[in-house]
Amino acid sequence: MKKVAGIVNFHSSPEISPITDSRPLGSTSYLGRYAFCDFALSNLCNSGISSVGLMVKNHQRSILKHLGSMDSWVINTKISQTRILYNEPAQRDPRLNTDVNNLLENDWLLYDASYQMFAIVPSHIVMPIDLRPFIERHVEANQDITLIAAKQDNLKQHWIGSKVFKVNDKGELIGWDVNKGQFSGKNLVNLDVILINRPTLVSVLRQYAPTHPSMDLVSLLLAAHDEGRHKIALDYYDGYARCIDSFQHYMDYSFEILDRKNAERLFLKSWPIYTLTHDTPPALYGGASEVRNSYISNGSRIEGKVINSIIARNVHVGKGAVVRNSIIFSTVRINDNASVENALVDKYSIIERGHVLKGKAKDPLYVHQGAIL
Amino acid sequence: MAVKIAAMILAGGKGTRLGALTRKLAKPAVSYGGKYRIIDFPLSNCANSGITHVGVLTQYESSGLNSYVGNGRNWGLNGVNCLTSVLSPKQTEQGSNWYRGTADAIYQNLDWLDALSPEYVLILSGDHIYATTYDAMLQQHIGNKADCTVAVRNVPLSEASRFGICETNESGFIVGFKEKPKNPKGTLASMGIYIFTYQTLRKYLKADYGKELSEHDFGKDIIPAMIARKKRLLAYRYDGYWKDVGTIVSLHQANMDLLLSGDPAINLYSIQNSAHIYSEDNHCAPQYIGASAVVRDCLINQGAMVKGLVDHCVISAEVVVEEGAECHNAVLMNGCHIHSGAKVYDCLVAPNEVVRRGETINAARDGIVLYAGGRETK
Repeated sequence: MKKVAGIVNFHSSPEISPITDSRPLGSTSYLGRYAFCDFALSNLCNSGISSVGLMVKNHQRSILKHLGSMDSWVINTKISQTRILYNEPAQRDPRLNTDVNNLLENDWLLYDASYQMFAIVPSHIVMPIDLRPFIERHVEANQDITLIAAKQDNLKQHWIGSKVFKVNDKGELIGWDVNKGQFSGKNLVNLDVILINRPTLVSVLRQYAPTHPSMDLVSLLLAAHDEGRHKIALDYYDGYARCIDSFQHYMDYSFEILDRKNAERLFLKSWPIYTLTHDTPPALYGGASEVRNSYISNGSRIEGKVINSIIARNVHVGKGAVVRNSIIFSTVRINDNASVENALVDKYSIIERGHVLKGKAKDPLYVHQGAIL
Repeated sequence: MAVKIAAMILAGGKGTRLGALTRKLAKPAVSYGGKYRIIDFPLSNCANSGITHVGVLTQYESSGLNSYVGNGRNWGLNGVNCLTSVLSPKQTEQGSNWYRGTADAIYQNLDWLDALSPEYVLILSGDHIYATTYDAMLQQHIGNKADCTVAVRNVPLSEASRFGICETNESGFIVGFKEKPKNPKGTLASMGIYIFTYQTLRKYLKADYGKELSEHDFGKDIIPAMIARKKRLLAYRYDGYWKDVGTIVSLHQANMDLLLSGDPAINLYSIQNSAHIYSEDNHCAPQYIGASAVVRDCLINQGAMVKGLVDHCVISAEVVVEEGAECHNAVLMNGCHIHSGAKVYDCLVAPNEVVRRGETINAARDGIVLYAGGRETK
């Protein structure tokens, strides 16, 4: 797999305020233990791709803090290459801060003939995808561009903002539209995974980028396809996949992994998901603790009640405290007899003794980082 | 750069009394606390003390332990100007030798130490559980211009015959030392942790090597020889949590000490700021507690899945406790699977053991048992 370079695209992820006000979705906490981009990085690593570029849009601090020296996700710590691709000039103009302009700013990558093709993956879509069979089919069929799609139900509620592909009887791409909830039945959703040969990418960027200065890469490829200049082939993934497109969905998609059937589709035995170690001790439960249907991370001390919830690292749930249907980010203290229900409590917050915090199931509360309530 | 202090961790012991747990594994590599191996403690202590050069002396069933220690990466001991070396017995021009005793193990690696030329050498045991830094002990050693400092603690008189017992004068210097005395006169026991001024140690190890009757042991030979020559041997009192887990019962107890109901002195949460314990990372999914689970007074590592009842237990990664299973006062090591309807009492369950449906481990509940290879042993 030496000839494939992986690129994790942080540009394509949606902003889901308020969670992503100070961090990109890719480095946002997921299931108490991961950042979303762990899935992208683990997929590349498990697929044997050892050169990885991180195409960063903004909030570099948050991403670099999570990634550290990147040793957690690389195959050979000498041979594997990891590069941050960052577009400094575009930081002043959000319209120009796109994946296309990032690639142009870091164009050395495009001229490196040791790479035959790129596997560009999103930083925010949760899926355990083995890219090897897709790459094999791409190479065997002599494709220039392959986009990976998934057949998905219920697009009225899910995959909002994602592109939906139309195909003809032969399975060829004939059109696309952005999902605003207008589709019914099963549809082909773009997973934002692009397999593209290096010369093709160079050619598309040369031809289209100057005249479309704020267009994203998938749109550019689709334009090239529409005009018959470069053909896009579609390939299909049928495993677990979720795109976090709203705060509500962040909560819903996290909680659905409490269901073992979903958990088993996400965490495959042969497909480990790597993340940064924090060397925290195992979780400690008190004699009067009551914990049900929850994920609890190491470094947490649970002395109260935790029901249908996700608790990240270094959280303390005090005696008599109750956490229900909630997600608690790392280093939060829920003091004795406090109560948190239908809420997301961001990092470093303190819920004082006896405080009651109650959101609605369909309208969860958000407690911002460092709040003291 | 001159090396001020190098640590040598003696990790070659078999740990015979741990039965099946150490049949294919050196005692320092035995798992502990749901996440750790025993040797994580001395290695983390070294890292937390700012020690940069560590030799780990292995012998019995060394391959698992050797690869675990590796280049010291798990403890951050692989940085710039750091060196972690696994030192197993080797073939030399003089032939090949096993380590014949603790002192001989160091003697056979004098070339490794000579290359570093440290001012001081810290000798540790790889199978002790305690979280500390060695800074104060080293300060005391340097401040008193000692030749050797021995970490000591008071033990009950009834247990004193298991230890090396020190006799000290008013200034804290050791004037008498008896290894495992039949009729102990005191209760000040050596913990098997020493700081030596390197050049003095080197001289005594060389002299000891040629002695035919010597057992080449620090407690039996080197310390008494230094006392006989009126060297400056200092006692350093350590009263913190410290366990030399030799038996199934003491390993079980040391695990239970980590619980919230256990010994606050070893609570991994209260010591975290001063003495973080580092270990190997696993890539397990998050820890899941099921909808009808009951979890009381437990320590549970990531990757475990608990759907049954666990009370007063220490649970490692990839352990599954099915719905309808019950575990009381048990240590469940890596990857064991407790099926629905099974009951486990007062027990250490060895890694990857399966307790089948309807089975009961230690039904009699008369003491702690080890469940390994599908059998209960004491």
